Amino acid sequence: MIFLLALLLAAERPVIDLSGGRVQAYPLAMARPLGVQDAGIAVQSVLSQDFERSGLFKLLDPASFLARPTEGLTNIDYSKWQAVGAQGLIKISCDAPGAEVKCDMRLYDVAHGVELLHGTYNAPRAAMRQIAHRFGDDVVRYFTHEPAIFQTRIAYVRETEQGKQIVVADQDGANVQPLTGASINLLPAWTPDGRTIAFTSFRDGLGAHVYTVDAVTRQVRPLVLMGDFATGAVYAPDGLRFLFSASLDDNTDIYLSQADGSAGRRLTDSRGIDISASWSPDGKRIAFVSERAGSPQIYIMAADGSDVRRLTFQGNYNQEPAWSPKGDLIAFSGRDEHRIFDLYTVAVEGGKVTRLTQNQGTNEKPSWAPNGRYLLFSSTRGGKRQLWETQPDGSNQRAVTSERMGASDPAWGPLPASK
Amino acid sequence: MSESLPPKSVLALEARTPLTPGIALAVLLHVVVFGAALVLPRLFDRAPPLRKPIIAHMVALGKPRDPHLLPRKELAPPAAAASPMTVPVPSSKPSPAPRKREPTRQELMQRALAHATGRAEPREEPDPERAGSAKGTPEGTAATAEEGDAYFTAVHDAILENYVVPSVISERERLYLSASVLAWIGPGGQILKHEFQKKSGNAFFDQALELAIQRTKLPPPPAEIAKSLRDTGVVLNFKP
Repeated sequence: MIFLLALLLAAERPVIDLSGGRVQAYPLAMARPLGVQDAGIAVQSVLSQDFERSGLFKLLDPASFLARPTEGLTNIDYSKWQAVGAQGLIKISCDAPGAEVKCDMRLYDVAHGVELLHGTYNAPRAAMRQIAHRFGDDVVRYFTHEPAIFQTRIAYVRETEQGKQIVVADQDGANVQPLTGASINLLPAWTPDGRTIAFTSFRDGLGAHVYTVDAVTRQVRPLVLMGDFATGAVYAPDGLRFLFSASLDDNTDIYLSQADGSAGRRLTDSRGIDISASWSPDGKRIAFVSERAGSPQIYIMAADGSDVRRLTFQGNYNQEPAWSPKGDLIAFSGRDEHRIFDLYTVAVEGGKVTRLTQNQGTNEKPSWAPNGRYLLFSSTRGGKRQLWETQPDGSNQRAVTSERMGASDPAWGPLPASK
Repeated sequence: MSESLPPKSVLALEARTPLTPGIALAVLLHVVVFGAALVLPRLFDRAPPLRKPIIAHMVALGKPRDPHLLPRKELAPPAAAASPMTVPVPSSKPSPAPRKREPTRQELMQRALAHATGRAEPREEPDPERAGSAKGTPEGTAATAEEGDAYFTAVHDAILENYVVPSVISERERLYLSASVLAWIGPGGQILKHEFQKKSGNAFFDQALELAIQRTKLPPPPAEIAKSLRDTGVVLNFKP
């Protein structure tokens, strides 16, 4: 009887479906660091920048804080943090005995008054930034249940008076280290283990060829010396194979090779140029640019070269595809009717194109963060070409590099191996 | 020699046979009477059928965009996050140029109403490349037209104003999250009470829905559905 009544009532109720809620950053307070001040402030500064760049957190203004600055790591008056709108609270206390910095770092849930994370992080004083990146990664992983990228590295091309050199840096643009000299070096691409970077170079004076450089020892080795134009190597997710483009018989096609450069074979064979290959995250498909229909467009094919399908139909010059680590989107740069290149994504299923940049200089060369939450790209919006990053919906665009003569060709490195 | 069975109880047989259908009949009659008591008054005093809301957008003034061109952004990307705490940081990196805030949908609606009533401030020039219709309005928020319902659209919009999805929930998880809340609305538009019919399983998301409902102020419902909204409530199905 009660069941029948409930059914009758439920049948009468109107239903309102709500979706598309505003995605808003999580309000987070970072209390003044305790312990050794210079170390604490330095670590907190890097952590603040990481969180700000992430787009996940809204850092509250310390001037508004009501809690005592001397409030300890524990015995927290949560009501004072709640009153300023904080939902999360971070407390840091650092010690610096000798050449090492050691920080006790904690994350609290203000609404429920409970500790969510607690860890002690050590690093040499010169590598203090890593403390912030490691704790930042732990916090992001706690909330999102996804890998975080604060400890990842990026590679890019740095412009110098002598030419273009391959450099690596932390994901936030700090700690830049050159890997090659400055001839004409382009298009860096990481191996999945993060140890080696393949790049295209004119260093031998015989055209463009593909080389590798060890990210630690900086030792350079030739990888593809085929013909007089071989370029754009990209490693498969398993690291056992790589793709590149090469010009033979006046036709540029995409080739597949074993990681050591052996057993190369041609995957495409169309009359137009086929170039700029990018692997799908499962290594079963390849996105690439082809001119076979008259203008450069994004295509996808199976990893053996079969089952070719055109993906973009809007615009007349689409290039530089980068398949997202989540597999659903391919980022690319496209030239609009004003003849300006901007960033777009196209959905692999359905082909919906979304614009990410507009009216902000020329924007090119998208490269995904390994967790798929961010894109690195080059932009001329500030004058010199520099690296910028954005979220995949085009929000939260921020400068990453400030190279004196410019930076281009970004390649976001893999996640660090789990310890 | 087989043992003969004891004679069956004639009394017991006769007692059971007429009782079972009697009980069944009594239960059936109760169901019919209660059911009729519940349903019949509703048939004679029935509120108009409740419709689901359809969100109405004002169509933007413009011309339809050539489908062969790459798309333009409907609105500029959200501005960069607010400045973080002012911890001293040596940095020479260029910062993004300050960008004018884009008006919210509610602000656009208010502007349109102001124009309709002649109380509008001088308007800015519309973007000539904006997709829309020749019959649209400069304050339009959509490229094409839809039809909508009145009160439930207002409920939808009011809740949506306060519906905030925490960005710390991963996009992947957002694809699968959903929750149902049953809310009872008073004659003055106040949400009398609410309860989860189905939680999402993500504490941050459920907490955000609680906050959205607590912060929402609704207009008073029309008389013909006020009683229903007060007594039986409305189901709010949330997806990120």
